[in-house]
Amino acid sequence: MGLLSDPSLSTHNKLVDNLAKHMRKVCYAFYTAGVIWFMCLALPEFNHGTYLSENALSPGLVYPEIRIDANRLAVQLLEELQRERKDHQSTTPHAWILAKFKEFGLETHTHNYTLRYPFGGGKEFHGKNVYGILRAPRIGSTEGIVFSAPYRAPSSVHVDITSSVPLLLAFADFARRKNYWAKDLIFLVTEQEQLGMQAWLEAYHEGDRDPDSTNSYLLAGNLPARAGSLQAALNIEVQDFEIDYIDVKIEGLNGKLPNLDMFNLVQRIMAREGVTSGYKQTPRKKRRSSLSNYEQNLRQILAMLSTQSSGVPNGNHGLFHRYRIDALTISAAKRVTNSNVKANPSSAAVPLLKAIEGIARSLNNLLERFHQSFFFYVIVHNDRYISIGDYMPALVALAACSVIKAYLTWSTLEATQKSDDANPKTETASGLESIKLSLPYGSVLIYLAAALFIGYMGNVLPLHQYILELPVSAAPLTASILIALNVLGFGLPFVVVLPPGALELLHISLLLIYGCALIVIGLLNFSLGFFVAVLTTPMVIALNTKSSANSTLRSLTRVWTLLLNPLVVIYIIVLIMSFYQFPELTLQQLLLRAATAAMDASTFALIDSVIYGNWLYFAICTVFLPLWIICWTLALAKRRDSAIPQAKLKIN
Amino acid sequence: MLPKGLLLLLIIIYSCAAEHETSMLPEAYVDAAQRSTHTNNWAVLVDASRFWFNYRHVANVLSIYRSVKRLGIPDSQIILMIADDMACNARNPRPGQVYNNANQHINVYGDDVEVDYRGYEVTVENFVRLLTGRTQNGTARSKKLLSDAGSNVLIYLTGHGGDGFLKFQDSEEITSQELADGIQQMWEKKRYNELFFMVDTCQAASLYEKFTSPNVLAVASSLVGEDSLSHHVDPSIGVYMIDRYTYYALEFLEKVQPFSKRTIGEFLQVCPKRVCISTVGVRKDLYRRDPHKVPITDFFGAIRPTRVSTDRINVTLANEEDFVNEVVQSEPRKQFKIILEPQFTAELIK
Repeated sequence: MGLLSDPSLSTHNKLVDNLAKHMRKVCYAFYTAGVIWFMCLALPEFNHGTYLSENALSPGLVYPEIRIDANRLAVQLLEELQRERKDHQSTTPHAWILAKFKEFGLETHTHNYTLRYPFGGGKEFHGKNVYGILRAPRIGSTEGIVFSAPYRAPSSVHVDITSSVPLLLAFADFARRKNYWAKDLIFLVTEQEQLGMQAWLEAYHEGDRDPDSTNSYLLAGNLPARAGSLQAALNIEVQDFEIDYIDVKIEGLNGKLPNLDMFNLVQRIMAREGVTSGYKQTPRKKRRSSLSNYEQNLRQILAMLSTQSSGVPNGNHGLFHRYRIDALTISAAKRVTNSNVKANPSSAAVPLLKAIEGIARSLNNLLERFHQSFFFYVIVHNDRYISIGDYMPALVALAACSVIKAYLTWSTLEATQKSDDANPKTETASGLESIKLSLPYGSVLIYLAAALFIGYMGNVLPLHQYILELPVSAAPLTASILIALNVLGFGLPFVVVLPPGALELLHISLLLIYGCALIVIGLLNFSLGFFVAVLTTPMVIALNTKSSANSTLRSLTRVWTLLLNPLVVIYIIVLIMSFYQFPELTLQQLLLRAATAAMDASTFALIDSVIYGNWLYFAICTVFLPLWIICWTLALAKRRDSAIPQAKLKIN
Repeated sequence: MLPKGLLLLLIIIYSCAAEHETSMLPEAYVDAAQRSTHTNNWAVLVDASRFWFNYRHVANVLSIYRSVKRLGIPDSQIILMIADDMACNARNPRPGQVYNNANQHINVYGDDVEVDYRGYEVTVENFVRLLTGRTQNGTARSKKLLSDAGSNVLIYLTGHGGDGFLKFQDSEEITSQELADGIQQMWEKKRYNELFFMVDTCQAASLYEKFTSPNVLAVASSLVGEDSLSHHVDPSIGVYMIDRYTYYALEFLEKVQPFSKRTIGEFLQVCPKRVCISTVGVRKDLYRRDPHKVPITDFFGAIRPTRVSTDRINVTLANEEDFVNEVVQSEPRKQFKIILEPQFTAELIK
């Protein structure tokens, strides 16, 4: 017989029995260990100083050659653009940007794209990007670097970043005069925030394929010219030439990050040019805080994880990561007036231009894509990071709880069944086997499939043709479908009563699926996986299917489970955020506002998943909702008459 | 003329014999042992690393190339191996030029650089084949080391090394054992008279550790466990220009003229730890001569040992006609008859 299935080796040993008695304690110990490990990551002993591992970058070995005339050009261009903006309140002055690119001798092209908005009766939006390619003078156009600047019309609700385009143009003019480019430089001006960038990237990489127009919402079209495989991208968001500090944004789609070398490179070059720069950099005043080093580090870690967890990129750079192009945004904040440090207005943009030049020359030195340093890391401080090897144990410890619990529950399964039995002494090992074999696997599988189906419907239904034709706007539609599905899941255990033994089996399968889901999600997006684990693992540990349990504890678990319903969690998060954002509102107003905001959030998540490929919505619908339905079933623990299993056993 | 010369020779032999009677070795003999007996010079200069950020290695090897050429080794006797083309790299702001100094005084990639092995031709296999003379059929003459038992060979290696190996390109390594075997084969095949092995890499001393062949003098830029460092950056090109050891070696070589009295012994001390940061390693145990008595041009130049005679030597022939007549007269033509021996001894049968 196979050794692994040898019944004498079965889990019936003293250690397992003893552990099973203290199952909950063991699990909570693991949980605490995981959380403590995470807290320890902020300690300097647990994180490391950053360093550049890619030799080819050789940052800061060149003297910047960009001079004051580039600054003059930038200032002059900004003035021209400001005049143009008066005539283009809600559009982009494409003609002006095109003319400038052409004037500087770049190979200039425009890119048109169309968005077919799925909701609200199918509206169409049109957009246009402008880009200029500077061909590498002495090498084939096989590789390229992108320098992009988003353009925002005056009517935009976002921060004014008009200065980015003149800065980009001034740098383009400088770069054109140099003969040392080994990669094509693409200067790209996008509009409509991330949509324009997404369309451009899609057109760049998939434009020449046959358009599958039936299923796609964003018709990206094709590009008239390309510059080979893109190696890296730098997105520039500049509020003003007189900058206070630079915030380096790195979080991309689905929590992907650019290679740590790229972040380090930017930090190194900025430091050389004397520009205050950092990850999640805040104005000077706030930086002089009285917080201890440890507390600061922990805050930084949590800030990074919370930005990363939603999977929504915090800048145009984030969309590049999908195509394995390392990219980040340097977001320059305007200098507040009355500052002690007075910059010379005639040379204000020079440090920034020099920094861009330095970054460009280092990227130009790349011999292959970034590959040396980390892709999975957490930034603790501007010059300290935690690598994946150091932070994963925290998540693994949390996920281990459910796996350990699953194992212990499985090994003690026959013991509990046996104690229910009238004559335990007559039981043999093969009898124990038969108990396991006689468990209602089929019905549990069907139940799991039903839960999964309910979740999956959340993906399909809101975009279904019949539903889209309903004369309801997007947010209430999506929200009501999601609520309906949740109610369905809520009602499922009341309607379906599982056969005996099914609850235990369902419990084990939940624990296994939950553990796997945590690890997989944590590998793809650590932040999301970790936050979900921290929130839900205690509840999963507390779940108990035994009928003998304390009734108050049981009802407490039920309330707890209800609170962790995905929709409820989203609502609570939105509520807390709106409470901090609008402290002046009364409670009723706040609740109402949070409700609409949560509806919007669910719609945006859906649109993100459809257009940008963000899988947060998918994960919530297809993973978290089914898991919650099963949790809820277990928390209710409705079972048929307990006499039946005995009868069944006697037949055996 | 003849008896006079004979007399001189006798005197010399006599005087030598007289000196043999003392317990000291004759000074002339010691001198003769220290004096090089080589008849020609060869140089094998190798840059084993590629990529733009390794610009300095190309600059290193081109600088040494420039020096040996200036000191008289002809291009036909220099094998230059360069693994990457820095001069024409798209990142080079000065196309077609390579400098070894931020001042950019000398373009070491000048008009007359003959690169014998370039780019991906620079492999461990080709290098070993070159040393041992086992080049493949059809290899150009310029790619062969055609040295003989009278050749003094200079081998210069630069690139990225480790303990016991030197990286070639970005894909393979030559180990110190392979190198020692190659040199042993050279010795057995009488491909060198003396060999000067010079290497500028990290942990360079590990490369000569396994040598066993005689007449080899080796110098390395750093000991095992040490890194060799670069000298300085040219901020207008954006790369490190040259390595420290080669920089100071060049500083020395630049002052050497073809008839200079500088010795290898001095050359071995060009880069003290104070400036080199790494410790220069020297291996002398295989070398029979005293480096301080060996002129540097024995390896870096093409100066062969010559003997200066203060005596008058008549090198003109006598009047040609007289000479011919004299020969004709002195040897009167003999009358002779050719007798062909019968091939088959028919008489015996008869």
